[in-house]
Amino acid sequence: MNKNQYRDMWVYIEKEGEKVAQVSLELCCEIRKLCNETGEKLCAVSFGSLPEGELDKILECGIDRLIIVDGSGYEQFNIDSYANAFTVLSRKYMPSAIFVGGTVDGRDFAPRFAVQLNTGCTSDAMELVYNRDSGDIEFIEPAVGGKIMAVITVPVLRPQVGTIRPGTFKYAPAGRKENVETVHEVIDFPTEKKRCRVVSFTPDYKDPELDIADCDVVVCVGNGLKNKEDLERYRRLAKLLGGKIGCTRPLFDRGILPYQLQVGQSGVMIKPKLYIGFGISGAVNHTAGVDADVFVAVNSDPDAQIFAYADYGIVGDMNKVCDTMIAALEAKKA
Amino acid sequence: MLKILVCVKQIPDVDLVKMDPETGNLVRDGVPSLMNPLDTNALEAALQIKERFGGTLTAITMGPPAAAEVLRESISVGADEGVLVSGRAFGGADTLSTSYSIAKAAEMSGPYDLIFAGKETLDGATGQMASQLAERFDCSQISCCTEIESIENGVVRAKRQLDSGVQTVEAKLPCLITVEKAGFIPRLPRLNSWLQSKNAPITVLDENSIAGLDTQLIGVPGSGTIVPKIYPPQLPEPGQILNEGSMNATVNKLVELLEERGVL
Repeated sequence: MNKNQYRDMWVYIEKEGEKVAQVSLELCCEIRKLCNETGEKLCAVSFGSLPEGELDKILECGIDRLIIVDGSGYEQFNIDSYANAFTVLSRKYMPSAIFVGGTVDGRDFAPRFAVQLNTGCTSDAMELVYNRDSGDIEFIEPAVGGKIMAVITVPVLRPQVGTIRPGTFKYAPAGRKENVETVHEVIDFPTEKKRCRVVSFTPDYKDPELDIADCDVVVCVGNGLKNKEDLERYRRLAKLLGGKIGCTRPLFDRGILPYQLQVGQSGVMIKPKLYIGFGISGAVNHTAGVDADVFVAVNSDPDAQIFAYADYGIVGDMNKVCDTMIAALEAKKA
Repeated sequence: MLKILVCVKQIPDVDLVKMDPETGNLVRDGVPSLMNPLDTNALEAALQIKERFGGTLTAITMGPPAAAEVLRESISVGADEGVLVSGRAFGGADTLSTSYSIAKAAEMSGPYDLIFAGKETLDGATGQMASQLAERFDCSQISCCTEIESIENGVVRAKRQLDSGVQTVEAKLPCLITVEKAGFIPRLPRLNSWLQSKNAPITVLDENSIAGLDTQLIGVPGSGTIVPKIYPPQLPEPGQILNEGSMNATVNKLVELLEERGVL
């Protein structure tokens, strides 16, 4: 394989109903920067056409080309038809890289077309760096529970495939290009080749307490928490601050809080004005998910890594500090 | 009779792995190994299917000889046999080559109707192994499964938990399934079966004993990705540790600072 024959970077445009998923826009913005460095074109790939307002959003991110996949088999997401289309298109156009949002669907189908194309696939990179010497993208991500940062590359094969978690990159549109080329590709996928079909869908009751991605104040609790009963005080503190509680992976693993509240690389990304972390060691895979204006850490271990991320730290028993904070805030209100 | 396969992995307890600050190497000495937590849920799901619908369950893993332990663990709770894919040639594999190796090895005892795999591992955490296995097995795929409703006429019907709701899907067999934890809490082995599993025969397959294996597609040569560099996470400049003598005074100071920053 001569990797120099592969050019241009693609972003898969995921749809939620008629809307473009936010992660697809975030990826267009980030990959625009990468393409500026490599001198390649940024191409968005969408199944079916887009309503004008949604199309504008993508154009604003500065794409050079739009590929619209038409034909049968794409009415709704299907692993078989979507993976096949990407394989067919990638063989035809030979992009150097394909980026897919790390959503449930994205994480299902990107690794599959990577196998079909016999190429390398990475997931959950936090940072993308172009290495001029090798011509490869460095996918940088925390590994081994956040103990290390790993640089991952696809040194020989192409395209370089990566799934990226929602919220990893900022949505900062670079502005519209003058000439954007639109290409229609017709690839029919026969119904009988689809091996999976959706029978029904029941929307969940949206518990607002479990939606912390856009919350202004998040009180996060880590593995320092000894008993489930102790949680109540943190809920109280969060409420006093007008916020919600979140947690780290071990608390989800211990069955104390649901996965929707797990903050970090493999959970939800948060960007609150105020973050207070209690009993959290500070592994990168958690802190990578926190983009806070003000970061407060409480831990009984003065050497805990979390203090490196904190604007303000308090060394002490997490429950005691929490109770004292509740008392102080209540006194202020009174 | 269903033929069921469960793919499991032995991992180091990542919470105990440390990084040597001098060398940048991971210190795994003395760190206990365990079955990847989400694989225990996949195993439980496979056992439930075996009990409900009848069939045989094979556990498969790839790793050093010691990884046979996770196969014995699987046998102790009800798997019928264990297959260990092991050999130097498989070393350094990423998901592209591991999925190929496991699927090729499973062909020896297959074909399988249902394949269960963990959603992701704690050590690698790519979360892409299950999808790549599904592609290698050329089968349908149900991820995030919370409940398997029926298996009839070569079709499995199941519920999936998505971000916004519950989806019911039907997939043709063979099908690869990854499960959510909640519905599939792993069982503990009975003492007797646990003791027996210690002597259960394990089929060990190396690169020479797998029919039709292309050695260019395994281990390092078969991998699409490499890890050219690891380094300790760069920590930002540490902030201010507050200590005003007493807890009350310290907390009051914090409240004051937060008010100044306008976040209270």
